Amino acid sequence: MEFVNLQGIRLDGRRPKELRQLCAEIGVVSKADGSAAFEMGNTRVIAAVFGPRAVQNRSQKIANRALVRCEYSMAKFSTGDRVRRPKGDRRSMEISLVIRQTMEACIMTQLMPNSQIDICLQVLQADGGTRSACINAATLALADAGIPMCDIVVSCSAGYLNTTPLLDLNYIEDSGGGPDVTVGILAKMNKVTLLQMDNKLPFDTFEKVMQLAIDGCEAISKYIREVLLENTKQLEYRRGL
Amino acid sequence: MEVKSTPSQQPNLLIDQAIVPGDVVLHLSNISTNKIKLGLGLRQDADTIKATNMGLLKHSRPNKYWVESSTKRYIPTAGDAVLGIVIDSKPDNFVLDIKGPNLAFLPVLAFEGGTRKNIPKYEVGTLVYVRVVKANKIMNPEVACTDANGKSAEFGSLKDGYMFETSTGLSQMLLSSPTCPVLDALGKKLSFELAVGLNGRVWVDASSPEAVVLVSNSIMNSEFLSDTQQKIMVKTLLKKIEL
Repeated sequence: MEFVNLQGIRLDGRRPKELRQLCAEIGVVSKADGSAAFEMGNTRVIAAVFGPRAVQNRSQKIANRALVRCEYSMAKFSTGDRVRRPKGDRRSMEISLVIRQTMEACIMTQLMPNSQIDICLQVLQADGGTRSACINAATLALADAGIPMCDIVVSCSAGYLNTTPLLDLNYIEDSGGGPDVTVGILAKMNKVTLLQMDNKLPFDTFEKVMQLAIDGCEAISKYIREVLLENTKQLEYRRGL
Repeated sequence: MEVKSTPSQQPNLLIDQAIVPGDVVLHLSNISTNKIKLGLGLRQDADTIKATNMGLLKHSRPNKYWVESSTKRYIPTAGDAVLGIVIDSKPDNFVLDIKGPNLAFLPVLAFEGGTRKNIPKYEVGTLVYVRVVKANKIMNPEVACTDANGKSAEFGSLKDGYMFETSTGLSQMLLSSPTCPVLDALGKKLSFELAVGLNGRVWVDASSPEAVVLVSNSIMNSEFLSDTQQKIMVKTLLKKIEL
């Protein structure tokens, strides 16, 4: 299949190094302590954060840091063909684990011992890159909840199809069978907290693809930063301070 | 004092500005030898002070820095007056939910003239107005129904009335002086009782249910309104009740 045509345009009309349109909103779930909706093109996710609160299951209590729990689930209607997935299927369990580990890296868990933070992620519409979108949404929701974080985590994916590195793969490109690198970085500290790759890549190409993903992360972090700053300013503006 | 710094490193430029987690707020090397005090939302990382929460950076002379933000959760701080809900009673303590990361303990003797003989009977679900006595991250916070002098000073269980939850920012606004415009406007027309906890819980009681509903609605609406907007909102709501 031709993923990049001769003019260098991808299937959805993007250039190889172009991100999809980003859209984020903070405070979409009123009952949650912090929440955010994040869109990357046609991928839409909602993140809700509860906590820090007292640990519900006493056997899970950790004496020196907070317990972080993460629940990722896809809406039944989120994909093109309606697939019935049992709640704890392996794919969503793996993604929950990955997101939990990524978010734990930025949350200052040692400041809230004996407590618990729940991150619930719901994919409303899946078009590739749900993992990255969920991490970005979770960052926004955690910041909204006022949970202390050492930095902002952002994530972006990149792939390699038709001998071209492509940024932010959509569903068709994702299922094209090529390599797919998902990178999560701490924006200010420039540290990698998540690196996943499906399929194989030669080392020199991998470096190119990863650099592209990191560039994508930086662009997203700039956007997320703007959203957070705008949110704070809006609060103050409306209060007339 | 010689401070040589590039504009981006100058601390005063960030004061009253919005910041996000991870932002470098201060460089310790730029500051002369005196101590600085960090409040909520700031952490020291090697030679820099970094933000851990989003909000506005505030500075109070001579050396206090903190991040002001509004959240739905509450981090206990000693001295705060909060509203707690009894969720369990043990022989030595009542266990209270104060919206914090941990449950708070209210010792059964922490009342004015409290002895083993006169322990109050708080059932599960009782709303109690308490003061945070001890708050550190390792232990559960401890609260008391007395002020610092051991007097009851209005602390204790709140009967009747209506309690609702708001953000910590709104409760700080309600307690600020001069009196917040919404309370000022309401107080001119209605008589009501109000208890504001810094943990974002507000309790309202008045003689008629209409007044309770009106007061609580106007407080909940006022969070994102300017002073004049708040007064207009209260006026329109009051008109409806007079019909």
